[in-house]
Amino acid sequence: MIVVMKQGAAEHVPEIVARLTELGFDSHPIVGAERSVVAVIGQVYPELQDELEVLPGVHHVLRVSSPYKLTSREVNPDDTIVEVRGVRIGGTETVIMAGPCTVESEDQLMSTARHVAACGANILRGGAFKPRTNPHSFQGLGEAGLELLAAARDEVKLPIVTEVLDPRDVELVARYADVLQIGARNAQNFPLLREVGRSHKPVLLKRGLNSLVEEWLLAAEYIITQGNRQVILCERGIRTFETGTRNTLDISAIALARELSHLPVISDPSHATGKASLVPPMSFASIAAGANGLIVDVHPSPDHALIDGPQSLDFDSFEQMMDSARTLAQAVGRPLLAAAAVPA
Amino acid sequence: MIVVMSGEATADDVRGVVDRLHELGLQENISSGAELTVIGAIGHIIPEYEEMFSRLPGVVEVVRVTKNYKLSSREFQHVDTVVDVGGVKIGGASSVVIAGQCSVDSEELALSTARAVKAAGAHILRGGAYKPRTSPYAFRGLGEEGLKILAAARQETGLPVVTEVLSQQDVEAVAGLADMLQIGARNAQNYALLEEVARSGKPILLKRGMSSQVEEWLLAAEYILNQGNKQVVLCERGIRTFETATRFTLDVNAIPLAKELSHLPVIGDPSHGTGRWSLVEPVARAIIAAGADGIIVEVHPSPDHALSDGAQSLTFENFAKLMTNVGRVAASVDRPLATG
Repeated sequence: MIVVMKQGAAEHVPEIVARLTELGFDSHPIVGAERSVVAVIGQVYPELQDELEVLPGVHHVLRVSSPYKLTSREVNPDDTIVEVRGVRIGGTETVIMAGPCTVESEDQLMSTARHVAACGANILRGGAFKPRTNPHSFQGLGEAGLELLAAARDEVKLPIVTEVLDPRDVELVARYADVLQIGARNAQNFPLLREVGRSHKPVLLKRGLNSLVEEWLLAAEYIITQGNRQVILCERGIRTFETGTRNTLDISAIALARELSHLPVISDPSHATGKASLVPPMSFASIAAGANGLIVDVHPSPDHALIDGPQSLDFDSFEQMMDSARTLAQAVGRPLLAAAAVPA
Repeated sequence: MIVVMSGEATADDVRGVVDRLHELGLQENISSGAELTVIGAIGHIIPEYEEMFSRLPGVVEVVRVTKNYKLSSREFQHVDTVVDVGGVKIGGASSVVIAGQCSVDSEELALSTARAVKAAGAHILRGGAYKPRTSPYAFRGLGEEGLKILAAARQETGLPVVTEVLSQQDVEAVAGLADMLQIGARNAQNYALLEEVARSGKPILLKRGMSSQVEEWLLAAEYILNQGNKQVVLCERGIRTFETATRFTLDVNAIPLAKELSHLPVIGDPSHGTGRWSLVEPVARAIIAAGADGIIVEVHPSPDHALSDGAQSLTFENFAKLMTNVGRVAASVDRPLATG
């Protein structure tokens, strides 16, 4: 059950929480700039709706049929817009995030950052902490990588998104990053989800390789119940029997998540396909299906990449892809977001 | 084995290669591109032939096809195959829309659907007369009576007809009426049926099995091509995954992959792929944006009353809306919908 407060009635939220505690319920209050809501946790009964609706500041009380509540479009019919240093994700425009899979060196990062910015990307991606299947593989540069990302942001004026792997690193990564990424392998790491939920930074939440759409939305619910509503969902391919591609980008899930949830949904065609030649067509497919944006791996020299070279676009391919994406996005009424400078 | 002719090769040079192939008991598949002519050799190839053909006049290169599928591979034929279905070209410059009922239930509904999809701009009419149903107790189609209704719908609208064939013994009857024979996902590896439909000489719409890898799908096409029938259209229709919110998982990735690996046209089926009508249009747009040559969509006058697959069928109104929006995507990727 969800208690939706009247506009500007945030000061009544503690009273609602107190009343719920009295009645034996736990609650998750989410205080927003305009509107606040309180999620009721526990075995609710129909009469509770009437009891809560008469309390001061309450606009109405909703019974939500899906297991995820705050993530559901039933609770919030309007699209959520996540704003990252002036870049709006979830609006009518399509947002492009691009950069190297992994920060390898200053040269590699800076040249890629300059190129993607010049091509019209809105956000720079790059991994400093890498979740590698093999513990003997390169694990990323760690904090040194974060410093390079911050330097790149200063130069090219693009906000940065980077992954955090460990709840103990959230504070550190949040000091540098504009968006915290939760990778597919941590899609159900609930302590980590709760920790980024407490960080006040926007979170890019990848779908797990074997998560149902419902499980993905429930993972988002973990973040939102901690008070952080700035969640961007990212479809990045699921595990199927097909071996011709690295994973299988589930395009239907993009349209379905947009239908079921108010959160922005973006797509990662690079990790999904694992094949550079398939990245442009799957980027176009994602936009056509209604995705709010893309996150794409770009590398100055994919043959020499330490990680994920086969799926990385080189500079020329990225530029060509952006040109075609611009035409398509315009045609489907979701034009690419114009590159905007980062406010100082 | 592929014999690549030089840009300066004469018609006599090409004939020389073909004659030598025939002497060796092999067949040829000639594709003439803008710059080069490429001759594919069909039959039992031994490694020594490569050396032998590379010495013939006009030959620049002899390449061995490395894939398990040969005739369906792009190594074997560089240029796109264009399949002609009653005058509608699939695999050419335009995108093609096939639409109609999942199964033909009555003459009245079938005709009204045919008129509606024609009016909205569809190019080919679909409709099942023989239906492969998971449960033997479910409605299994009208059979020959359904074929007659489809013939009447074609007569009235002028749209070519594609319909499924389930059994070898029905191939002749279905081929006598349909412009294109469909092999459904459940028969994607029914090799005896694949060979039988191939011999009908009709264009074949080959759906991917719900558990077929892309390679297995192309090998299924190879069974048809190997019988001498080159008119094959591949159709991605969703694979079985762990996700249950959609009926299947439409593998859009497989569309550009199949186009990269094969010269055959590829279309997508967002109706069976998703099983939810609300997802049909966004996924149809994605299919076209990913480079497919067309889509196949289920439409019903009253989806709530459909005998099969109502949940995934579009109303006439939603189909018309889909045509407008898919048309925009198709135009923006330079594959506009075919006109009239």
